Amino acid sequence: MNKSSKMLRILAMLLSFVLVVSACGSDGDEGSADSGSEDGGSDDSGTDDGGSDDVELTQGGTLAAVTSAGTLQCGGNDTLPGFGIVDADGAFGGFDVDYCSVIAAAVLGDAGAFEITPLVAAQRFPTLQSGEIDVLIRNTTWTASRDGAEQANFLHTTFYDGQGFMVQADSGIASLEDVADASICVLTGTTTLLNLNAVLGDLGIAFTPVEFESNDELNPAFQAGQCEVWTSDASQLAAFAANMEIDTAILPEIISKEPLGPVVADGDTEWAQVVNWAVMATVQAWEYGIDSSNVDSFLTSEDSSILRFLGEPITDGDGNTAVAEVGLGLDPKFAYNIISQVGNYEEIFEKNLGPIGLTLAGSPNDLWTNGGLQYVPPFR
Amino acid sequence: MIQFLLLLLGLAAIGTAIYVVGRLIYDIVAMFRDRASSDEGDTAVLWRDVKAIGIVAQLVALFAIIGAGTYLWGNFRARTDAIGLKLTFDFLDQPAGITIADNPLIAGDSVSSAIVAGFFNTIRVIMVGIPAALLLGTLVGIARFSSNWIVRKLATGYVEFFRNIPPLVVIVFVWSAVFLNGFPTAQEAWKPLGEWFILSNNRFAIPSIMGQDNFGAFRWILLGALLLAGAVGYWRTKVFDNTGAPHRRVLWAFATFLGIGLIAYLVLGGPVSMSKPMLDDRGRVFSDGFRIQMPFAALTVALVIYTGTHIAEIVRGSIMAVHKGQEEAANALALSTFQRYRFVVLPQAMRVAFPPLISQFLNFSKNSSLAIAIGATETTNIINNLFGQSQPAPQLILILALLYLALSLLLSTIGNLINRKLQIVGR
Repeated sequence: MNKSSKMLRILAMLLSFVLVVSACGSDGDEGSADSGSEDGGSDDSGTDDGGSDDVELTQGGTLAAVTSAGTLQCGGNDTLPGFGIVDADGAFGGFDVDYCSVIAAAVLGDAGAFEITPLVAAQRFPTLQSGEIDVLIRNTTWTASRDGAEQANFLHTTFYDGQGFMVQADSGIASLEDVADASICVLTGTTTLLNLNAVLGDLGIAFTPVEFESNDELNPAFQAGQCEVWTSDASQLAAFAANMEIDTAILPEIISKEPLGPVVADGDTEWAQVVNWAVMATVQAWEYGIDSSNVDSFLTSEDSSILRFLGEPITDGDGNTAVAEVGLGLDPKFAYNIISQVGNYEEIFEKNLGPIGLTLAGSPNDLWTNGGLQYVPPFR
Repeated sequence: MIQFLLLLLGLAAIGTAIYVVGRLIYDIVAMFRDRASSDEGDTAVLWRDVKAIGIVAQLVALFAIIGAGTYLWGNFRARTDAIGLKLTFDFLDQPAGITIADNPLIAGDSVSSAIVAGFFNTIRVIMVGIPAALLLGTLVGIARFSSNWIVRKLATGYVEFFRNIPPLVVIVFVWSAVFLNGFPTAQEAWKPLGEWFILSNNRFAIPSIMGQDNFGAFRWILLGALLLAGAVGYWRTKVFDNTGAPHRRVLWAFATFLGIGLIAYLVLGGPVSMSKPMLDDRGRVFSDGFRIQMPFAALTVALVIYTGTHIAEIVRGSIMAVHKGQEEAANALALSTFQRYRFVVLPQAMRVAFPPLISQFLNFSKNSSLAIAIGATETTNIINNLFGQSQPAPQLILILALLYLALSLLLSTIGNLINRKLQIVGR
């Protein structure tokens, strides 16, 4: 009896020593990984199997981490028709999802090498901050405080939107003045909610906010008449109205600017540039008139700018050929990969947003040469 | 309030650390003093001394905890430094830009006042919901012993159905099926009983009382009457204890309160009147009466239904824990069913039931955070909203955890006080 209890104590002591030793061991590992990557980001690009988490946690290195993981982690939406929604087969589709695909094609050469983490509006930035996702493409509005206080880095705007109001067709509401005292449905954690409070507050229009976390609950609440008005980005309202049984009307007022685009976390310029140029390549391709069906015919183009853009060898006066290297850390053929596997901006827009009734021609999202806002810097 | 909570947490953490380390040092010093003062032959070698082993084990545990904490904190700081996230609490004074339905909060109000406003909504749900769940659970728990077959089976069916569904599903189901689609819109609201009730899927409004002239004085008189009624009840109990005459203390106290209230009402010339709820023609502005937003009604009802099943099971178990002889003795005294439960079974069952009931109350308060799904603006909803409004998530999560911790500690303190009272009276 006495002996066995002593044995137990010794066993416990041994166990606790093992615990301490293992705790110290893991401490040491963490310390060395930290110091290693602080010395310089260059060794991060080497092959690392289990250590990709450590790389992600330190300065820079997202590009290397994504390359070694072989999959792009993309924060997206799963409840917004046209932009990001899960179809009947459980697959993600939409405008924003296609842009995840664009980045995957540019970075990994495979348009399918991405995973979507569906997020509600309020969870977007905490998830991006934690490093759980590499890029956030979830109809997210670019604002000063998000760039600043949320440690987000907003990149090329893929969709120029504005906040609108939707009502049921028989509600008798024709303009913003008529919504006085009404209940207004809105998503929490959005700029939409801030604009609503600010603009209607300034106009002196009283209202009751009904704040939902997800469109999955907001949509039935609007249709059942819990709130008479639904406010969101005008494109979202159009998308939901297209799938509704009831007749709806959109009020004429657009109360805000909502530039939507991809977002990455602060502190990794290399990765931000990669994502930005990948996204902008779709607009440049559109400007050149290159799309997924004719991209191969451009590989033998006479235009050196197009050859440079597609990563084809350019011949100099002496007949020497060289592939232009822009130094972004991407495959020189990244634009070709994007266009051949996903398409240009116009294709992505028409495929996803055409069916929900949005038109590209004449909208702010049209190409700058057509009077729109889509303008990208030169690829040289 | 928020800053106060944070300060409290900091002090508690520092206090705990000082206590733990101080205690350990004291133990070590005491051990060596003992070893030095005792005779040579009495002391075991150091690695066989029970006290030494105990101290080593404590040190090991301490270092393991510190090591794990340092590792996690280092991980966290590596990421926050990489993206430049500041871990200060200055944002609490920033304008939040959010508003809450039926709350005076305006867009310019600070983050901390928005959080406090949300927290009060949580407390409202709890204050209504916990007593209701207790009542429902107790009734259903008793109903499971009913001699009536239908009542018994209905109670069993209710418990088994709702107990086995996740609370979020119950909340969304009650919200969607019963409240959202079961009631008309505010524009076509039901106004039963001569428009004294307004029922819609936007808000519910029921009559309430409203103060008129002299209302302040009337309120003080009522408070005095309440105290006097308590005193009368106490006096009747004394009479019963001393003489054995029927005490009828509830009746006496009630009559005292009502009598004083009635006289005061007449003397003061009608200081209160009924307030009839109103709804304007557009079906938008609710006024007068007592008004509650539909999501809060749905949340409270759903949580009462859900928690009620758990309370019913606790009550059933505690009633079964009361010895069968008690019930037989009550029957032998020819007590009615009500009397049997009121005077014999429930007082004994409650003593068993109360500790697990406290944890159900805590569950109720924590499950109220699921309201975010149905658009009720309570604590979790507000905090989630703030993440999206450029406020830092790590600090907000800490505050969220602290608020629920404070709430739970408060509830369990109240519960434990009641529990102690029950136990002492019982013995």
